[in-house]
Amino acid sequence: MKRLILAALALSLLATPALAQDTPRMGGVLKAAMIGEPPSLDLHWTTAVITQQITWHIYETLFTYDKNLQPIPMLADSHTVTDGGRRYTITLRKNVKFHNGKEMTSADVVPSLQRWGKMSTTGKALWKGVEAVEAKDPYTVVIHLKEPSGSLLFGLGSPNNGAAIYPKDVMAAAGEGQIKEFIGTGPYRFVEHKPDRHIKLVRFKEYAVRSEPADGGYGGKRVAYFDEILFIPVPDEAVRLAGVETGEYHYAQTIKADQYDRVKSLPALEPQVVKPYGWITAVPNHKQGVMANKKVRQAFLAALDMEPIMSAAIGNKAFYRLEGALFYPEQAAFHSTSGVTGYSQKNPTKAKALLAEAGYKGEPVRWITTKEYDWMYNAALVAKQQMEAAGFVVDLQVLDWATLVQRRNKPELYDIFSTGFTLGADPAIATSIQCNWPGWWCNEEKERLVTEMLKETDPKKRKAQIERVQAIFYDDVGRVKFGDYFTFQVTRKEMRGFRPQPFLYFWNAWLAK
Amino acid sequence: MAVYVIRRLIAVIPVMLVVATVSFVLIRLAPGDPASVIAGPYASAEDIAQMQRALGLDQPLPVQLVKWWGRLARGDLGDSIFLRRPVIEAILERLEPTLLLTAWSMLVAVLVGIPVGVISARHHNTVLDQSFMALALLGLSVPNFLLGLLMILCFGVWLGWLPVAGYAALETGLWPNLRSLIMPALALGLVQSALIARITRSSMLDVLREQYILSGRSKGLSERTVIYKHALKNAIIPTLTVIGITFALLVGGAVVIETVFNIPGLGRLIISAVLRRDYPVVQGVVLLIAVTYTAINLLVDLAYLAIDPRIRFR
Repeated sequence: MKRLILAALALSLLATPALAQDTPRMGGVLKAAMIGEPPSLDLHWTTAVITQQITWHIYETLFTYDKNLQPIPMLADSHTVTDGGRRYTITLRKNVKFHNGKEMTSADVVPSLQRWGKMSTTGKALWKGVEAVEAKDPYTVVIHLKEPSGSLLFGLGSPNNGAAIYPKDVMAAAGEGQIKEFIGTGPYRFVEHKPDRHIKLVRFKEYAVRSEPADGGYGGKRVAYFDEILFIPVPDEAVRLAGVETGEYHYAQTIKADQYDRVKSLPALEPQVVKPYGWITAVPNHKQGVMANKKVRQAFLAALDMEPIMSAAIGNKAFYRLEGALFYPEQAAFHSTSGVTGYSQKNPTKAKALLAEAGYKGEPVRWITTKEYDWMYNAALVAKQQMEAAGFVVDLQVLDWATLVQRRNKPELYDIFSTGFTLGADPAIATSIQCNWPGWWCNEEKERLVTEMLKETDPKKRKAQIERVQAIFYDDVGRVKFGDYFTFQVTRKEMRGFRPQPFLYFWNAWLAK
Repeated sequence: MAVYVIRRLIAVIPVMLVVATVSFVLIRLAPGDPASVIAGPYASAEDIAQMQRALGLDQPLPVQLVKWWGRLARGDLGDSIFLRRPVIEAILERLEPTLLLTAWSMLVAVLVGIPVGVISARHHNTVLDQSFMALALLGLSVPNFLLGLLMILCFGVWLGWLPVAGYAALETGLWPNLRSLIMPALALGLVQSALIARITRSSMLDVLREQYILSGRSKGLSERTVIYKHALKNAIIPTLTVIGITFALLVGGAVVIETVFNIPGLGRLIISAVLRRDYPVVQGVVLLIAVTYTAINLLVDLAYLAIDPRIRFR
């Protein structure tokens, strides 16, 4: 009997901590080791991913995405579409407070949307179709469109360079410049930014939580379990990993995939795979130079064997997939393999024939890339060898990232540049198919389809349009997609409830004792 | 002496003007610009142009240069593009970690380098001397960041004695502060101590061959007195020069070591400013380093005067 009691006691002792660890717990300071500093804390101002990752704990948007990346309301309560799809009436949630204590109303939403439409890359694309935005009453905003739009809600929900709702006074104080106060309605509020030390956020006690449960996407209930979040810039990858190993950080961003097996073997750590994250791509210059010739671009595509390229870029097979479609299989509404005809052809003979047809005479192909993102450089290096085997002369120029992003805007300076495209939720506004972006892939038929897609609200018709864009993408070689890649992040075991997602967030995660 | 100091101080002014102008022009000659960095990877050319106008970077270079001189004359280094604060404030925030790191590294370099040099010279051509010099050669050849990463692995990850990275400010207490600086100071200082050891050894060897050392020994002075009182004092001048140069090397090394150990100092400031093309910060820090370097050189020259009377009477 005594033994039984002891055994029961021992069992209960074993069981209690496990139970306690699985119930969310308030408290603690989350230390997140980030790859660097955000260039700005104004979400309207920059498309930098790290700005979105940090600031969307502070700011919120009218809409966000569910787990299938479809728009659902966030600060909006509901919306109706009338006038043949030309009028969106958005009802705002009541009693949503900004971090300065004031209630969010249409008086804040209207100027926020207008500023976003004027400043942000996505906003500008959408605002071409917007006639006016008006506040009908404190809780109702009406957006009048010139034509129906299938992209408006996707755009309003986009996290990157998103339509954050700021208080009107903050925007008035900023004028034409960046905002100087970082106030939103989010679950965490901004406290301080000590450059190269940390960005400190604390729980916003008056946060207006949505009532729906979190659905595994970005919507629903967002709970701030941590008392504080410290975003710590740790540029050296080895130090991020060492720090999460010793417990100095709870989370380490972007660790190389070849560390995966080691991390998996460490009991204190949890490997997190963000799948999908983005594509690795080479963007040919359609405006000027040798790549402006379609036959040469087709030769470029024909010469490539994507497996060795992706393997060199990423390393571990669990972190990439050979996928030629423009949208991810995870985006069921947009994913299709129709039209994906020229992916990974491994055909140097065809490439040579195309080059001969094009009259290519060994003009050097200037490919600008960077080692700051080593996957870009490694992919370019292998692709270069494959191109050379097909008769191309390639001049691979390694630049720093700041130089690359400037030079790629100058058509006379390059023929190909390396980049990656992160997940875009709406096909019509995805950077990967825009004409008005470095590389200048402007194709009459494609532009017409993109314009149609912007207006199209029927998902089936949109998918058909995507399939046609895909076919043009491969025939015209708009960009060269090498494949999808996933990122590797590491958390400590005591950090619970964290979901690795294309758009990083820390709400609904907690620290077990 | 006073005239000498004043003359040297006046000579500093044109040096600073040249440094200010060259740093202004060089960073702008570098391709890349802050507007495209702020706008981010998915921005179009028009977005970037809009950003340039907002930042005032669309003005012609000479106009910007004259504005920069004008501000400098008023002692204003301008505002950082990324940090949303005046450059001088950004620099002051970063001064503490870098000053402490440099001071501790210097201490490590001197406390290890000089004794090793003296002992090597004294036991010239013995196994001790050769092994010290082999170590010094190794020290000079190992890059400080590699030493830093090895130390992180050993003392941070395996043994868990010291924090792997990060900086605890002085205000959090002396011990946490020291703990966060031990590894970086060793990584930086040990490499420099190798240089100091080699210079001290060779100049000690020269001095030990002098007649007055022989006469000191023959009149029965103890070896201690000969080495430390007579030889070292005369051999220290070249070492002093090297310590001055070491400071410059330390500032350069701090750029790397601060990145490895994630210390928010001037090194990190300048690295991130260069990578992001934060022009005002790059200019400000380069100018500050030039001022400091010139000041240290002046101090070294004054130290010569104090130690070596021959220089004083020349």
